[in-house]
Formats: sequence, C-alpha cells, structure tokens
Amino acid sequence: MDNEIYSFAIKSALDEIRNVCPDITSTFMFKENGEMIIGDEKTPEKTMVQVVDAFDGVFEKANAIGHVECITVDGSNGRVNISCLNDLYFVTVTSRKADINYVNTITRVLIPTILRLLERINPAPLKNNPVLPEIKPNARVSLPMETEEAVTETDEETEIEKPEEKEPEIKPEPLLPEPPVNQLIVENLGGLLVPSDTVRIDNVILSQWEELYQGKKIEEVEIETFDGKSTKCKVKPIKDSKYEGKGMVQMPEKIQLALEIKKGELVRAKPIVE
Amino acid sequence: MTKKKRSLEDVTALSEPIATEEATPVSDIRTNLEEIKTWDGVIGYILRNTTSAAIDLKDPTKIIDYAILSSSALEASEELCKLFNLGKVKDIIVEGKDTKVLSLTVEENRISIFLEKHADHEKVLKKLL
Repeated sequence: MDNEIYSFAIKSALDEIRNVCPDITSTFMFKENGEMIIGDEKTPEKTMVQVVDAFDGVFEKANAIGHVECITVDGSNGRVNISCLNDLYFVTVTSRKADINYVNTITRVLIPTILRLLERINPAPLKNNPVLPEIKPNARVSLPMETEEAVTETDEETEIEKPEEKEPEIKPEPLLPEPPVNQLIVENLGGLLVPSDTVRIDNVILSQWEELYQGKKIEEVEIETFDGKSTKCKVKPIKDSKYEGKGMVQMPEKIQLALEIKKGELVRAKPIVE
Repeated sequence: MTKKKRSLEDVTALSEPIATEEATPVSDIRTNLEEIKTWDGVIGYILRNTTSAAIDLKDPTKIIDYAILSSSALEASEELCKLFNLGKVKDIIVEGKDTKVLSLTVEENRISIFLEKHADHEKVLKKLL
C-alpha cells in the first residue's frame, strides 16, 4: 500500500467522522516534527500549517511535563482537542454545542482503530515519505498487461508453457521505482553566496531517495505547490541543524516568487532521476 | 485655591474605586491559588499580569521551563481560537505523561497551575472562575 492510498484511507475516515458528527468542524493529523499528514476536505492546508506553527513552542518545551499527550483548548464558541497517537497528533475542532463524550467516542476509538488497521495491512510508519514496494532483483522486470493476457490465452489453447519460454518477453533492464513525494514546509533561504536555483532539503530525505535509487546522487528535485505550480531546481542538504528532521525545505526567494508561495506553506517535493 | 482643592478631590474620588477594582481580583486570585496549592496533586502555580508575577513551585529548577511552556500554551490557544473562530480562550490544558498544566486568563491575569496527572483540574477551574 503506498502513501497515497494510506492518506486516502485516513482522509476518507476524517471526512466520514465529520459527516457522522457535524459538530466536528475540522479534523486533521500531523507529525511531531511538524510534517503534515492529512486533513479533512474542509480544512485548508494553510490553517493546518498555522496550527502546527502555533504549537511548536509548546511541543519544544513539553519535555518539562513528559511530552504532550493531550491538549484541550476551551473557547467561548468551541473547543480544540489535540491528542497524541503514537508519533501522530490528531486535532479535532468542535462547536460549543458538541457532545464531547460522543465526539470522544468517535475520535478516540475510530481513529486509533483505523490507524491500527492500516498498520496491520501494511506495517509501515504513517508518514509523508512514501512506502515504496521492496524491489527484488527478479521483481524488477515487469510484464505489460497485454503480454500477461497473451500468455494466459496461449495457456488455455495449448499446453502449459515452460517458464524458460517466457524469458524472451521479459525486459532485462530494471525499472526505476516511482519517485517518492514528500510534503515539506517552506523555510526561507538567504545569504550572499546562496544560489538562487538551489533548494535545501533534509539530508535524511536525500539519503532515503538515494538509497531508493541504488546510491544514485539526487541533484535535482521537482517542487510542486498545492495550487498546481511546479518547478525543477537543484537540491543540496540542509546545513543548519535547527531545520534538520523538521520536514522543511529551505528555498531562495526567487523560487518562492516563481511558485507564488512563502515561508510556512506546504509543498510537495520529489527527486528527479534520469 | 478653591479650584485647586476641588480638582484634587476629583482625582481622589476617581482614583479610589479604580484602585479597589484592580486590587481585589488579584488578591482574590492569589488567596485562591494559595489554597489550591495545598490540594492533593498540585505542584504549583504561576500568576502574571502586566505589572507583577508570582511563582510558587515545589521544584524551583523547573521554573523557566514551566514559565515558557505555560506562556507558549496560552499564546498558541489564542492563535487557535482566532484560526477557528472559537471566540475568547476560556482555558487550556496541556497534559504530559507525568504532569498537566491548566492555563487561563482572568481579566488581565494569566494563571497557570501545574498538577500531577491524577489531580482534578475541573475542581481547580471551578475554584478560579
């Protein structure tokens, strides 16, 4: 199961939760490092990023109380609950008239169940680094659908073919895996010696990409905004340790202007491998 | 002379009730906090307003961390209420593995009470509101 299906399952669950309980006005999930996971269809990405930013200081200082397990904000017109599920934070915004017990029954039972279920189906962490299928040497070859059908038809008509006879149909060249897509938060990149065509991404992400492509050095990435704008640019690892492991992409102003985005917004990044 | 005297009286008449109004809630809050601090599971409190701050914590080494945490929590909750149109922040509870923090604003006073996980924060809230 790849990340898109994973996200789709969660997104559908969040939408359904809102349908079942209309007093829930917004739901979304994010990772502790600020990396966004997924939200319901009515919650804008920008709002989610702003919430994560707002609580950054709280999460940073939460060591003093033994890390955050739950946050409840009670406002005069509604309430926000942020609960920790493993390394994920699940946010629920409810109206004032909401039955909190009912909301809690739905969210605290349903969401962990779905997460457990997804984990059982595919025991991979729920994160934006997509879970790519393991590529075994023999599995690198792919048979086009037509070929498979042709083989089946032949099988029906004639005797069972020997496996060796299929060999000529197999393409010997290994296929490169689908480029993984990571959601990253934009951070400014400035300075006199900063090239305007290069973004900086977490070294861990770059290493994962390189590992995926059998050590091939990733020198270019495609950055895509949620408005559909995209650009290709060079990529280098983040130098500043304070941005490491936070799901950020440091971007020069020129690229931000080209993509019509600014600091704090979310973009998709994927490696370009030729 | 008469004019000067009158104006002085006016000032006194105006300033007295204001001074009383400001002093009463803060002293009330402090009295309540002192009582709350004796309750089971209460670690301490931080009370701040624009002119003063009172901190009473069992473990003084955690004062800075607790102060930053409670301040960040109140600011974040205000931001959250703006983002989702939730009106005025009534209170925020940050629960950790060992401790929880109840923060609220009463008039100009920002209050944070630090409690052990098992402590009843609802009771604390009732006492302060």
